[in-house]
Amino acid sequence: MTSIALEGIRLSKNFGGLNAIENVSFAVRAGSLSALIGPNGAGKTTLFNMVTNVFPASSGEIWFFGKNLARLAPHQIAVSGLIRTFQSARVFPGMTALENVIAGAYIHLRSNILSQMLWSARSRREERRLVAKAEALLDMVGLAAFRDVAATELPMGGQKLLEIMRALMAKPRMLLLDEPAAGLNDSETAELAALLVAIRDSGVTILVVEHNMSLVMGIADDVIVMDAGTIMTSGAPSEIQRDPRVIEAYIGGKSGVTHA
Amino acid sequence: MSGFLQILIGGLLQGGVFAVLALGYSLVFRVTNVVNLSQGAFSVLGAMGMYYFAAIFGWPTLPAALAAVACATLFSLLVGLISFVPAVLRLPNSSTLVLTAGLLTFFVGVTLVVWGNQPYALAPFSGNEPLVVGSLRIPTQGLWLAGVSAAIIWGLWLLLHKTMLGCALRACADNPTAARLMGINLPRMMLLSFGLAALIGSASGILVAPLMSLQFDSGQFFTISGFIAVAIGGIGSFAGSVAGGLLLGTAEQFAAFYVSSLFASTLALLLLIVVLIVRPTGLFPSGPQRRSDVREDPRVHRKLIRLSARREVTLAIVLVALFAVLPALPLPPGVLSTLVIAFILFIAVLGLDVLMGYAGQVSLGQAGFMAVGGYAAGILCTSYGWSPLLGTLAALGISVACALCLALATERLRGLYLALATLAFGLLIDSLAGNLVDLTGGPSGLVGIPAFALFGFEFSSPVQMYYLVLAFAVVLVGALEGAMRSGFGRALKAVRTDQLAAAALGVNVGRVKIAAVCISAALASLSGSLYAFNFHFLSPEMVSTGRSFEMIAMLVLGGEGTLIGSMFGSIFITMLPTLMQDLAVLKTAAEGALLVFTFLIMPEGLFGRLVLVLNRFAPQKPTIVPVGASQ
Repeated sequence: MTSIALEGIRLSKNFGGLNAIENVSFAVRAGSLSALIGPNGAGKTTLFNMVTNVFPASSGEIWFFGKNLARLAPHQIAVSGLIRTFQSARVFPGMTALENVIAGAYIHLRSNILSQMLWSARSRREERRLVAKAEALLDMVGLAAFRDVAATELPMGGQKLLEIMRALMAKPRMLLLDEPAAGLNDSETAELAALLVAIRDSGVTILVVEHNMSLVMGIADDVIVMDAGTIMTSGAPSEIQRDPRVIEAYIGGKSGVTHA
Repeated sequence: MSGFLQILIGGLLQGGVFAVLALGYSLVFRVTNVVNLSQGAFSVLGAMGMYYFAAIFGWPTLPAALAAVACATLFSLLVGLISFVPAVLRLPNSSTLVLTAGLLTFFVGVTLVVWGNQPYALAPFSGNEPLVVGSLRIPTQGLWLAGVSAAIIWGLWLLLHKTMLGCALRACADNPTAARLMGINLPRMMLLSFGLAALIGSASGILVAPLMSLQFDSGQFFTISGFIAVAIGGIGSFAGSVAGGLLLGTAEQFAAFYVSSLFASTLALLLLIVVLIVRPTGLFPSGPQRRSDVREDPRVHRKLIRLSARREVTLAIVLVALFAVLPALPLPPGVLSTLVIAFILFIAVLGLDVLMGYAGQVSLGQAGFMAVGGYAAGILCTSYGWSPLLGTLAALGISVACALCLALATERLRGLYLALATLAFGLLIDSLAGNLVDLTGGPSGLVGIPAFALFGFEFSSPVQMYYLVLAFAVVLVGALEGAMRSGFGRALKAVRTDQLAAAALGVNVGRVKIAAVCISAALASLSGSLYAFNFHFLSPEMVSTGRSFEMIAMLVLGGEGTLIGSMFGSIFITMLPTLMQDLAVLKTAAEGALLVFTFLIMPEGLFGRLVLVLNRFAPQKPTIVPVGASQ
């Protein structure tokens, strides 16, 4: 029996009377590459925001490798090893691509502000080590040439990759990726798929929100399907593809056809 | 009882002025989301016009008043057209807030040029005889004031809620993009709100001028009083503005009568700070609150302007060498003492840069920490015989403790409200420095402060002081540069641009901000102590809120987020009166104009411009490789 990385138990979230998420329970196996899919407005990003406590859940529990996340602030959740990216890439403007990636290592910094102010040998050594590591990560996704470019000047696909590399720099136990393929072209999407598999194989659990079905079905170990704030079903991609409810939600049932 | 009523009437009259000022703030805020700190200056412009038309040209009251309002409004519209409107359209809100502080300085400077530093009083509209009702005496000018204020309030309400134009104005505030898509001319609406604010501001100035004497810097008083009123009532809410104004006016009058007239303004500021902490949106918050979890618009994002590492080192060596040999050169007299002042202020501006340039938090109260540092060190060294070094260190501790309290108390506050809290803090320190006469010497200043000394060596001559402050500046820039290029600096920049993404990477946003506030306060405190030791004297106006604004001008002119840039800004602005000796009266106006135009045409600052020039001479190794053009 494999262990569970992230588990949500009877989660609900309402925004002033509107139930965005209702009684949702899910589990992500440790070491798996899981996908969270569902039509627009199903509550996928809301679920991410609840897990990382950007908006606290109205009720329910969230466990991350046996740790209750409920009372932790977003930065404490990051410290515990759960790192997320955002639907619209949120790179830091005013920093180069390289600095953006290095910024991801914040929680692992060992030199404090005083030793930074004194230009201590230890802090300079640490900086050099971080630069080397960040350069290697940029190189991995073909962004090495852009190391000194302002991050916001990269094309959208580059910014998305940069954000994932920044997250990796934090040495996460688990990554939450919000639509990493949005805005990517086909060849970029294929590279992204290979990257995600490589990250999974390095031992990092991944939960990815994605609309691109071929990407999801091609690489995911498990798929969770959400619809209208609830979990519709979950299972291996092959089972999900055969599930009539999923087909109806995506390809459109009787009502869907008339509206299309 | 009649005493109570008499005070109440006085309070309501004063409150009426504050209410109209507060309305000006709310009006501009509703349309542009900017707190226009130049609001108080409109009143003085109006009064100044009235003085010329009525007292000099001898026009009758009504035509003179109308002409004065028209002139003040036209002048403000012109200034708004070339500065305020482009700023709101192009700059982040925090910069526009600072820009309006520059506008205030500019207007104050213009008044200084026209009026000099004499106080002026206008004749009441209906003579000096007060209206006597029973045992109550009501100045007739007060009736004018109450009547016209009520008419202005009612007229504004009608305009905004009953006309198409008002609807368009309100739409601009709620959603500027959608308003533009609906065909509303956004820049015109912004200018209109600015002009309306100038109109009612100048009208209130004309009405109030006979009740109190005005001088060139009364604009600051009006800005601050109106600001306190609107912050208590709720920015953007008209009912709140009126209530805040009346509440503030009566509270001040009662405090003056029952406690002490000296502490009336101190108590008003304490009231404001309590309101900001307990209920940051004021007593009457306006409409739905805007989302605060979204990033500032992309217009915040600037291009990166950096030197290559080797050039940075070269530039540092050249600068240090240049400043080290400077005293050996034949300099005109006074230059060295001016440079000492510039470097002392530079230390405080460095702190401001950490807070504003790197962490992105606007502080309008940096001089408050300078005052704490200067007075604490000065008092400890004069009254208690402490050594200057110990005094400086103790003052540093007190300042950081104050900063910590302020930061913790305002931790929930973001953006605008944090800036307002720092302004309130600076003003509070101002009024304490002026009023605690036994401790600080009051307005006449604290005298007999010794020279700075280290281990028995006294820094008494300008040259000795020069090398001392130069050494401080070099060490501090070096230390801060080390922190800014490492983890702490990255965390600050991350917090500046995207708090949510920073938190998602494990950055404790609150703690990083508090650290920035404390560093900034510590540097200001050190600067204040050195300032006091340098002059052997400290008075409240040397470290007043005007100084806070001046230091912001130094930072922006030099270049935010560059550390060394503020040195150029500090030297330039400190040297300004020396550079234009015969035109020294223009200094204040020039400072304000410089701040405004730096924001508009040279947001990268003097240092950024220097870097751009230097980088132009290295086409083979550009720091920024355009996308796609890299190797």
